Amino acid sequence: MSHSFNILKLLIAAIVLPVLCGSQLQAQIRDLTKLSLEELMNITVTSVSKRKEKLSEATAAVYVITQEDIKRSGLTNMPDLLRMVPGMQVAHIDANKWSISSRGFNSRFSNKLLVLIDGRSVYTPLFSGVHWDVQDLRLEDIERIEVIRGPGATLWGANAVNGVINVMTVSAINSHSGEVTAGGGSEDRAFGSIRYNGTVSNKGYYRIYAKGFKRDDAVTPSGDRASDRWNMYRGGIRSDWELTDGDMLTVQGDLYKGNLHQTVTIPTISSPYRQTSMNDVKVAGGNILARWNRSLSKGSELLLQIYFDHTYRHDIFHKEFRNTADLEFQHSFLLGSHHEIIWGLGYRLTADDITKSATVSFNPHKRTDNLFSGFFQDQISMLNHTLFLTLGSKLEHNDYTQFEVQPNVRLLWMPHNRHRIWAAVSRAVRTPSRSEDDVQVHVATLPPDTMVPLPTVITIFGNRDFSSENLIAYELGHRYQPVNRMGLDIAIFYNVYTDLRTVEPSGTPYMVTTPSPHIIIPRRFENRMDGKTYGAEFTSSWHPFDDWKLNTGYTWFKARLSLQSSSQDAGSVNAEGDSPQHQFHVRSYLNVLHNVEFDAAVYYVDRIANQHIPSYFRLDGRLGWHISEALQVSVVVQNILDAQHPEFASTPLSELASEIQRSAYGKATWKF
Amino acid sequence: MESFALQVFSPLMALHIFMRISYIVIILLFSSALSITQTISPTEYQVKAAFLYNFAKFVEWSPETFSDTTTPIVIGILGEDPFEADLDTIVKDKNINGREFVVRRFQALKELEQCHILFISSSEQKDMPKILRRLRNSGMLTVSEVEHFAHIGGMINLVVEENKVRFEINVEAAEREGLKISSQLLKLARIVSEKENN
Repeated sequence: MSHSFNILKLLIAAIVLPVLCGSQLQAQIRDLTKLSLEELMNITVTSVSKRKEKLSEATAAVYVITQEDIKRSGLTNMPDLLRMVPGMQVAHIDANKWSISSRGFNSRFSNKLLVLIDGRSVYTPLFSGVHWDVQDLRLEDIERIEVIRGPGATLWGANAVNGVINVMTVSAINSHSGEVTAGGGSEDRAFGSIRYNGTVSNKGYYRIYAKGFKRDDAVTPSGDRASDRWNMYRGGIRSDWELTDGDMLTVQGDLYKGNLHQTVTIPTISSPYRQTSMNDVKVAGGNILARWNRSLSKGSELLLQIYFDHTYRHDIFHKEFRNTADLEFQHSFLLGSHHEIIWGLGYRLTADDITKSATVSFNPHKRTDNLFSGFFQDQISMLNHTLFLTLGSKLEHNDYTQFEVQPNVRLLWMPHNRHRIWAAVSRAVRTPSRSEDDVQVHVATLPPDTMVPLPTVITIFGNRDFSSENLIAYELGHRYQPVNRMGLDIAIFYNVYTDLRTVEPSGTPYMVTTPSPHIIIPRRFENRMDGKTYGAEFTSSWHPFDDWKLNTGYTWFKARLSLQSSSQDAGSVNAEGDSPQHQFHVRSYLNVLHNVEFDAAVYYVDRIANQHIPSYFRLDGRLGWHISEALQVSVVVQNILDAQHPEFASTPLSELASEIQRSAYGKATWKF
Repeated sequence: MESFALQVFSPLMALHIFMRISYIVIILLFSSALSITQTISPTEYQVKAAFLYNFAKFVEWSPETFSDTTTPIVIGILGEDPFEADLDTIVKDKNINGREFVVRRFQALKELEQCHILFISSSEQKDMPKILRRLRNSGMLTVSEVEHFAHIGGMINLVVEENKVRFEINVEAAEREGLKISSQLLKLARIVSEKENN
């Protein structure tokens, strides 16, 4: 306790002191007039204004995690980085799994979020969610992570219901030096990576990377060692080619392989009717992508992208192979001086092969699905380019629900250079997943008793008539720049969902004789729940001095779910209590000396009522020292405030939740 | 086996180390605050301000734009000022051939007075053609940072490419106003002309 108190004092000191002596701390500008023009042209500047302008003109709730944020957070994996984004819920389940969602409906199998890495969709049609444990990169190679909360369905398509996460890596043209990193600590036991850059005859640029890490077991609530250690290896290449003046070609690919340990409890049909075991999840996969960009005349651009993605995942429940091929075309152009038009076509094929276990099976075990899509959007500029009306819609055809239309209307008003006010109404759908159509899963076994002398197994069956979940979203936002070094952003939303998933009784119980006699109580997925969610998200970024940056975020969220009158589902409405009502964070980046960085971040997450997870504070600190241009070392301490705390409860038929521990690591980065 | 690693890096130990270092940092911060001079990487606008200074060095105005040999070089900013204090800091106490610098700011075109270098802010982007028409025969060196500026009759356009500042020069536009641009500047610039755009 006294430790946490001291650290709080320290944190306050770290934040307040620079204010007190700020005028002295403010960097003296290196006398740039002494540099030659050539030298000036070689200076890397710290902000890219064009992108910033684009972002501030977005008609949606957008947040960007920059390379600086990634480096200075000290975080070591992609899921944890999302804690910085307002409106997102990120919870550690065990050492290698997360529960992540945007604007509510958080669960181990969250299904309303679309995640793209360099334009490649990484959500799995198996459950319409994301296997976060295999979504990784060398974090140093990420240029930015753009997160759109709210529907992005018009441009991105189905599943972009509550948000779109777009991870973009640095172009090989811009990665200049080779880099080796290595480190280790109490939880991130050992990690390392290497990147090498090269050029091909001044037209092509490439980088090759490899990385690996070994993460330690977390702990059980009683403080014992949990069984959820994790190791992962990956490597890849990205190459960018300047074919002609306006033609850019990117070809990239990755390969990965890993092993995750977990503890799961599964129902069995013989005594003791449930069995807890520790076992491995083996994962592997790879992808290759090619993207061709052509800039035509002013404001006109063509994009053609094709990728192939393979994933393999083998755990106690199933073994899944999945191949995905995707082709996309986009064209944007200016029509007259008032219309900015973007349209596109896409086709995706996904084929899987799922081997069953005693608990989970799929019927059929192989399935191939096609998705055809097209979209059109027009941004109309009005009132002397101060008011922008965006109209657009996506039309897609999928093998589950046939045609889906996802339109939106957006309005952006720029009454003043420092104000951006936007509003949007959009429709989005979450199309059925492979599981909701085809699964057969034993969720629980009731032991025999005097009334029923046989074990009774509750089994959920997929439902081929399961339809899409629908959302109509109403959003309003304001971006305001009170002074040049400060930005404020507020977004509020009201979401109306219909036909959310429920689990309903399906016919009368029946007896099965193999492998031993038992009774099956059949259930199936239906769309018999409606809901409303609403909330507000606020962020501020303040850069009071060149050497100090302060970012804050606050999220308020509420959900109300209600069953339709035909529903007999007892549990699904409880999901309204699966998201914290309040969250906030403060992140401070301070350059203490020209080559020493001291960074701290505190995150608060409210209790999760439905799961009896208490609220918690997370405090992370980082000290980075640039020993020379080439060598940098850093020390990071995470979750300083308590020895361990839970963030999310176990979900039936998935890994046993563990608690996250206080941890520390050291890291060295060498550029060559 | 792993106990060694645990002893070396037990969470508590790490915490102590971190706190020690933190205290040292705080003390450093407090005691040396007065003497810290920073050489962190400059911001985009600090670099752009240095470019403006260099333009003054490598451009020759017609003599009648200066009333005598010590008349200062006036840098004007039209529209919203992206430099904040950085431009003033850069040119403070500097002189070129005995001429000092004066920075002036103009909110709107109608307030505009005679300058030597006029930086037209991106806030004026939509009025750019109108502004450039108004500036004909004014003898000012026009500089901006919006797309196609030099193609539509502006003289120097600053562009950020791959986080580095580059510049485009429309030589004809400068010559029309009687400005002479040194070859040292021209050889580093991307030369553009109005014809390309039509």
